Amino acid sequence: MNISTQSTQDPTAASTVLSGNQIEKSISGPSGVLTILHALDIAVPAGEAVAIVGPSGSGKSTLLGILAGLDTPTSGSVHMLGESLTELDEDERARLRAGKVGFVFQSFQLLPGLTALENVMLPLELANAADASDRAMHMLEQVGLADRATHQPLQLSGGEQQRVAIARAFVAQPALLFADEPTGNLDSGTGHKITDLMFSLREQLGSALVLVTHDDKLALRCDRRLQMGDGKLAVV
Amino acid sequence: MNFPQQLRFAGKAFKRDIRAGELRVLALALIVAVASVTAVGFFTDRIGRAMERQAADVLAADLLATSGLAIPESIAERAKQNGLSVAEHTRFPSVIINADDESQLVAVKAVTSGYPLRGALKLTMIDDISKPAPLDSPAPGTVWIDTQLKNILAVNQGDTLTLGAMDFRVERLIQFEPDRGENVFEIAPRVMMHADDLDASQLLGPGSRARFTLLMAGEVGPVDEMQDWLKETMADEVRVQSVRDGSPQLRRALDRAQRFLGLASVVTVLLAGAAIALAVRQFSLHQADASAVLRTLGASRTEVVTWLALRLGMIVVLASAIGIIIGWFAQLLLAQLLSTWFSMELPAAGLWAPVIGALTAFIAVAGFGLLPVLRAGRVEVMRVLQRDYSGLDTSVFVTTVIGLVATYIVVLLQSRDWLLSAIVVAGVVVMLGVFALFGRFIIKVVRSIAGARFRLSVAGLQRRAGSSVVQLAAFAMGIMALLLIAIVRVDVLEAWEQDIPEDAPNVFVVNIQPDQVEGFDQRLDSQDINVAGIFPMVRARLASHNGVATVMEEGNTRQERRARREYNLTYSDAQPLGGEVVTGEWWATDGSAEPAWSIEEEWAGHFGYEIGDTLTFKIAGVDVTAPIKNFRKVDWESFQVNFFVVASPATLVDMPATFVTSFKIDTDFSTTTSGWAREFPGIAALDIGAIMERVKTLMDRASMAVEYVFMFTVLAGICVLLAAVQSSQGERIRESALLRALGASHQQIKHAVVAEFAILGAIAGFLAAFFATVVAWALSRFVFELPFEINGWLWIIGVIGGAIGISIAGFLATRRVLVTPPVVALRNTA
Repeated sequence: MNISTQSTQDPTAASTVLSGNQIEKSISGPSGVLTILHALDIAVPAGEAVAIVGPSGSGKSTLLGILAGLDTPTSGSVHMLGESLTELDEDERARLRAGKVGFVFQSFQLLPGLTALENVMLPLELANAADASDRAMHMLEQVGLADRATHQPLQLSGGEQQRVAIARAFVAQPALLFADEPTGNLDSGTGHKITDLMFSLREQLGSALVLVTHDDKLALRCDRRLQMGDGKLAVV
Repeated sequence: MNFPQQLRFAGKAFKRDIRAGELRVLALALIVAVASVTAVGFFTDRIGRAMERQAADVLAADLLATSGLAIPESIAERAKQNGLSVAEHTRFPSVIINADDESQLVAVKAVTSGYPLRGALKLTMIDDISKPAPLDSPAPGTVWIDTQLKNILAVNQGDTLTLGAMDFRVERLIQFEPDRGENVFEIAPRVMMHADDLDASQLLGPGSRARFTLLMAGEVGPVDEMQDWLKETMADEVRVQSVRDGSPQLRRALDRAQRFLGLASVVTVLLAGAAIALAVRQFSLHQADASAVLRTLGASRTEVVTWLALRLGMIVVLASAIGIIIGWFAQLLLAQLLSTWFSMELPAAGLWAPVIGALTAFIAVAGFGLLPVLRAGRVEVMRVLQRDYSGLDTSVFVTTVIGLVATYIVVLLQSRDWLLSAIVVAGVVVMLGVFALFGRFIIKVVRSIAGARFRLSVAGLQRRAGSSVVQLAAFAMGIMALLLIAIVRVDVLEAWEQDIPEDAPNVFVVNIQPDQVEGFDQRLDSQDINVAGIFPMVRARLASHNGVATVMEEGNTRQERRARREYNLTYSDAQPLGGEVVTGEWWATDGSAEPAWSIEEEWAGHFGYEIGDTLTFKIAGVDVTAPIKNFRKVDWESFQVNFFVVASPATLVDMPATFVTSFKIDTDFSTTTSGWAREFPGIAALDIGAIMERVKTLMDRASMAVEYVFMFTVLAGICVLLAAVQSSQGERIRESALLRALGASHQQIKHAVVAEFAILGAIAGFLAAFFATVVAWALSRFVFELPFEINGWLWIIGVIGGAIGISIAGFLATRRVLVTPPVVALRNTA
């Protein structure tokens, strides 16, 4: 499958939004140094959806963390949205993410004290965006949860929580979206609906997507699939 | 699994717990609790004893047995067997004659070697009063005299005085006699001789009016034992007097200090209990996962519960040991500090404190941890595996009841007072209720008005404080305890300072004859000495109450002894200074009042008198009967002339009276009073400045102890607040990581954390100020018996101090949150 999803509204669509060069990650454990990622290269053009697949423990999530700037590589460099992440400190990386990068986690990660609406408003507020409330409400409508806006996470089902998480991921119209096993905690029916929702929003907004999964069906919906094994990536 | 296997299994888990830091918060809370309870316990124990010993100076012993007949040998023998040191003195009036054949009525005190057992006499040479000249006890054939006798008989060093059938050489001048204050109205000048001379001097014939006293001193345990034994078996033979029933001024100072120290340690225990409750609950919630996994692997519920309980038991043992060691060192340091203040070696600490410390830890963990542990064992496995924790933490009621029982026992251990403990626990219940109700309400209000800027903070607040009443209550209780101890401390100290006013009299003059009153008044005037008044004093014995005779000839029961005692009565139109009517009314002040008595409140309570009862006093052979018109509260600490019984003038004006007055002089006592004895024969001027100085010193030291214990409570409070904050740290770390992933900066997260704690602290401070005011009022009114004023600063300090204090504590405790790498958010944690 090689479907173009380049957005017609985005003038920088052809450029690369995320690239990693010679990324290495090793950790020292009780039995010596363990290398998880070996001199790994990756490039994600704007608007493209890339799936990273592989067995458990192959380093998929570690790679995702490094690409998103949540973690740092032992060596090598990562460029996101035109900036070199390896040259930024943690705060600067956070500022870069604010409002431009979205996340969908396997365990939803909604803040329990905030309502659904407030959870969706979070990225906008962190980026000091105006009309956060209106935009968040609009987003909730798009994921079909407008009537649950004032509910707290514990009052929502798993599928509903993940829909709120997706609304939160897309509300700032991010150029780049990271998803880590987004359907891992859901039954297959609900998972399917969530996937549909995520991909349709992505197409609407033209966001690039880096998706980590071991679900082949889900991976097949992406433009490109990369296989993780022995700390290296291979095109499927 | 059999028990040894379970123990091994739990032991392994315990080691892992320690390595992984799983028990860190609970261990910290326990160590703080045990250390502070132990240190405060050790400390109050030792200070209490030191203060009692200081008070013992006033008796010259820890325990006295007094009688009109020689003290039975068996008492002294028993005291020695109990390891107490003993001494004796015998007091009686006699007449002393100098070489010029001038005679003077004196109060003789014949002492054995070893007197005084507590405190010390201050002696100088007769002619040179500038430097001390100590001696152990009067050598046989010599006497020591006081300033009064020196002035009356113009005695010089080495003069010979005749007492009974013996001549004595005058060796020393007594500047201070520790137990003289016991009866300041023992007006005759003092002569002190050795008891061995009693026989040769033939001073004590049959029928002579002597008071025999056995002095005893030693460790607290044996002294208490001896006192109990005396009261049980010797009550008919001797009157028993200990430090606690010594002079009213000292007794009250001591009582207040001990009540305060007790309060401080109860508060420390409460704070620590709150922290343990938080931590143990957190531990049980954390263990729900592991318990569920064990259950799926085939462990029975009992095995899971045993496994958890054993680990809690192990942490109690370990933390108690560490806490006791820390507590021991803390009090060593304290004793070191205080030994200079007390100018005496502090008595050794008892073993009670570490026992209480360990018991506190054990009961608190059992009380607050038992139910959560049982729940963790009984939880439905599937719910935990699906990460639904709602069933784990619902039965607030049962948890609260068990927790309160534990609190009651812990407070009881500390206060050893059933009623006080019940009041404290009831207070805690009311407070927790109000904290819960108003806390939730205020958080809701704050949330609805907080903008985007504070939404994160308030949401965190609502989530954490809302899910657990205890969390908010811990802060509020902590702040309240600190505010309370701060106010009470200031009040107690101020009241003490006011207790002995700067112009408190240091000289009493007694035995002024009616025809000397005017002349003496003028004499005082000419020496620029101001007096509040010269009061009549009538000596009387209690004859009957409501017509029932109280005097029985030759009886020797306590009641009869009390009845035979001589009392000093006075009469007055106006209400005396330093006393207020608490029941009934004062009589007409224009001289028209009918005969009536005004009785000191406690004294009346002692005898069971009611308003309207008639009392008859026998005065110089005449029975005087009148009704009781009112009860007065007397401020004994004012050092003014005070009387148990005051009569309306009509009652006593015709009775033989002498007059008494008191005043303050800044000049030297001997010089000021030197001519008086010859100019106004019979009058006696008594120097009580030295006694007052002792009371003042005691109060100063007690207030230092209070300051120190207060600091300790503050430290414990801060540690406990930190522990409370830390118990929510795991949750905060996950949240912070997520926010970081979504692009929040350090600054934003720091602001959110600090603002959350500041808001929480302000709310807690507000509630705390309210309760501190209520409790301070109750304490002032009922426990310390001090006047109460509403303190506006309390609210300001409570709210602002709460916000600042809690946000600093919160920030310090959650620093780790800020450095959590955001990648944590990717890990699969719910």
